[in-house]
Amino acid sequence: MMDRTTKALTGQGIALSFGGIEVLKGLDVQFRAGEITGLIGPNGAGKTSLFNCLTGAYTPQKGSIRYDGQPLDGLPPAARASRGIVRSFQHVALSPDLTVLENVMIGVARNHHAGWLHAFLPTGRGRREMAGMRAAAMAALSELGLAQAAEKLPAQLPPGMLRLVEIARAIVGKPDVLLLDEPAAGLNNAETRDLMRSLRRLASPDLVMVVVEHDMDLVMSICDRIYVLNFGAFVAVGSPAEVRADEEVVRIYLGSDDE
Amino acid sequence: MSDQSASLNGTAVGQGRLALRPEALTWAVLLLLLVLPFLLGGSWIFTLGVCFANAIGVLSVSVLVRYGGEVSIGHSFFAAVGAYSVAVLDTRYGLSLIASLPLALALGVVAGVAFAWPSRRLSGIYLAVSTMALALAVPEMINNMDGLTGGYEGLYVSQPVIPGVKMGLQRYYGALIVLALVVYGLSRLRRSRQGLVLLLAKAHPAAADAFGTRRVWARIAVMGISGGIAALCGAMLGFAGSTVSPSGFTLWSAIFLLVGSVVSFYGLTLPRALIGGAFLTLVPQMLSASGAWIPVLYGLALLGVILFGHYLPRLRALARRKGGA
Amino acid sequence: MSDLFRDLFPLVWSGMITGCLYALGALGLVMIFKSSRVVNFSHGNVAGFAAFLIYGFSSGMLMELSWGAAVLLAVIAVIAIAFMTYALISPLVFESDLTATIATLGIGLIAQGATLLIFGADIVSLDLPIPRFGMSVLGLFVTGYDLTVLAVAIVTIAALFFVIDHTKLGVAFRAISENPFAAEVCGLNLRSVHLFSWMVAAVLGVVGALLIVPTTFLSVTTVAAFMLQAFAAAVIGGFASLPGALLGGILIGVLMNLFTFYVSPEFSSTFLLGVILLALNIFPNGILERVGGTRV
Ligand SMILES: Nc1ncnc2c1ncn2[C@@H]1O[C@H](COP(=O)(O)OP(=O)(O)O)[C@@H](O)[C@H]1O
Ligand SMILES: [Mg+2]
Repeated sequence: MMDRTTKALTGQGIALSFGGIEVLKGLDVQFRAGEITGLIGPNGAGKTSLFNCLTGAYTPQKGSIRYDGQPLDGLPPAARASRGIVRSFQHVALSPDLTVLENVMIGVARNHHAGWLHAFLPTGRGRREMAGMRAAAMAALSELGLAQAAEKLPAQLPPGMLRLVEIARAIVGKPDVLLLDEPAAGLNNAETRDLMRSLRRLASPDLVMVVVEHDMDLVMSICDRIYVLNFGAFVAVGSPAEVRADEEVVRIYLGSDDE
Repeated sequence: MSDQSASLNGTAVGQGRLALRPEALTWAVLLLLLVLPFLLGGSWIFTLGVCFANAIGVLSVSVLVRYGGEVSIGHSFFAAVGAYSVAVLDTRYGLSLIASLPLALALGVVAGVAFAWPSRRLSGIYLAVSTMALALAVPEMINNMDGLTGGYEGLYVSQPVIPGVKMGLQRYYGALIVLALVVYGLSRLRRSRQGLVLLLAKAHPAAADAFGTRRVWARIAVMGISGGIAALCGAMLGFAGSTVSPSGFTLWSAIFLLVGSVVSFYGLTLPRALIGGAFLTLVPQMLSASGAWIPVLYGLALLGVILFGHYLPRLRALARRKGGA
Repeated sequence: MSDLFRDLFPLVWSGMITGCLYALGALGLVMIFKSSRVVNFSHGNVAGFAAFLIYGFSSGMLMELSWGAAVLLAVIAVIAIAFMTYALISPLVFESDLTATIATLGIGLIAQGATLLIFGADIVSLDLPIPRFGMSVLGLFVTGYDLTVLAVAIVTIAALFFVIDHTKLGVAFRAISENPFAAEVCGLNLRSVHLFSWMVAAVLGVVGALLIVPTTFLSVTTVAAFMLQAFAAAVIGGFASLPGALLGGILIGVLMNLFTFYVSPEFSSTFLLGVILLALNIFPNGILERVGGTRV
């Protein structure tokens, strides 16, 4: 199915439960580089929980997760981040003390290693590092049309913009795997269209991109493959057209338009 | 625990917004303090030196609140580490601050890290309770190592940094310089990569984790920084105050440092730190005749400032509504 | 039997007796914590103030009352203090438990200062009307004090558990400490439950403080120092469990006794620090509320 050269994030038999309640029921996934994968399903289906398992925030009771053939099981979230596996959060998780620009700079922090001396003293290396991080963050903000908000504090921005900042922080570090959790929630139509354009531009043959989204237009138009999750199990996997035609999906998801 | 730290900061003003204005104020205050010894009498110089040292201690507690979202009532431990580094090197080996201050800093950082490791998974009130236990153990440790520490009587710090210069001036300027350096270092930290990730780890540990900053690392780093600064406070308390004894490092001293930090609204700037330091130094001085009023006054100030911080946004909103109507 | 173990039994016994008192203190701390998520750092200072009040009311320093009347007055005083404390910090409780906890330090400072102002820094002796006798039971020397403490502790704790299990306020207390939000939705009044636990805690504190005094003497610091063991007891018990606090108190009492006797009386606070850190590390589950990770 997959040729050897393509990198992929794969999960086999991922099972997760909280206090006896099965949240994920042995999922098999393969998110391939070069594709944008959609992950859809009703609220509470387990989409965020699957992301949490992939990034190491949750430890699944069963199953294994690999990226590019390397097992990730047992690695803490920070170690997975340094392998280039990065996510955005469904509930915006920015520091209220930092400006938008500084919040986004954190997205590249893992690629820099100047020591503590450079944190407290005005060294050249420390300065260059910060300048580099600032430039990268500024570029990511511009890409999402947020350049003018760079010096603002999160409390001064509307929720839709904060979500874009959240995405900017995820993409700024040139990740290998990008997991976006409801990136378009709270965005208006124009912002959503801009976001779709940016995501398409971002797609590259080496990037695994997975998008959890309720906005069907967005998912159907940018995704190459779609996984449909319901009650912790996949009910359908396939191209947008296949998923759209799937009766089960239509019944549980598209049919009930309460999302 | 992010809601706790958020509201802890609700009392204080964000650092980023204050980037411009206080810079000028800081320089003005620093200049004033530099010339003050030429205008004031000797006893005031002494008191101000101790005040600077206390201001450093206030900063050490504020740093923990700002960057860790945690509250400590155990910083007398780290202060004692610094103070005894200076006093022991001074009396036993005749070494001056030049040698003992770096040692104090290093040992303070080590002590901070050493305490942070077993308490790395605690936060909020659990950490506060463990720091209380830490503070309680301090006088006992000092008294039981009396071969080194001089026990109850304590030690006298007398080695000059620059031989020949009046000791009173050395005590004053020594403390002022260290305070200024700590404030400067902290302002750099706020702009550094480490500062940014620590602030994110405070607000959203899971987000920091997801971007490569382990929360255990963040906790240990903040405790190390805070412990190091507290040790500098102790070192300068010994140097500027000339004596070091266990009665200066009790649970109460640690609580007073927290009071100073709250009174300065957890500020990390020079003027804010000085407010906290002055509160800790001048109140006991003024109430020296009736010492029992000191805890009462501190308690009232603590409550007053906290309640003020709590009602301030409401008062502001009220004022705005009145102004609009 | 070897010398090492000859002392063990009496040590454990007397440790259990003091432990009951630590447990009384810890139960108060835990009740306040369970209902309002605040660690009451003023607990020891307020209880110490109350012990001094009893001394003042019964010794002729302030008044010359009978012993029972003095205790009653002091209990009324601490209930009033608990009420005022809660009134002062209740707006903070609903905003941030950590800020409210810092505020209790302020109350503690004031209580400490008030004690100093009214009663001075001197050591006084406060005699309790405790039956003075001693008898040997199975090689163990049991005193009237031991039995009094045991009886008072058992009665108090039984009464406490009865109130929590069978009265309306007690049931509300349990509901709110399980889930404050749901309980409030169900129409339970958070504030009255908070007040209930603050007041009960204050009374428990006075009882504990009074009974510990005969083993030492009364000074500004003795009761506060005693309450620190109560803190340790609460921590060991998981801080959110009443039976845990009881067990923690007895454990701390016994451990401290054994440590001071067999190892060193000079390092007892350091030992306490070690015990607290160890307990928090070994049983983080009883202590950290969340099991299974943060939701993001
Ligand atoms: N930390 C947790 N503790 C307990 N239950 C959880 C936790 N995280 C998720 N769940 C449960 O798992 C289910 C799936 O949640 P989630 O992954 O957030 O769904 P989605 O993102 O698809 O809306 C829900 O029923 C939720 O209550
Ligand atoms: Mg979700």
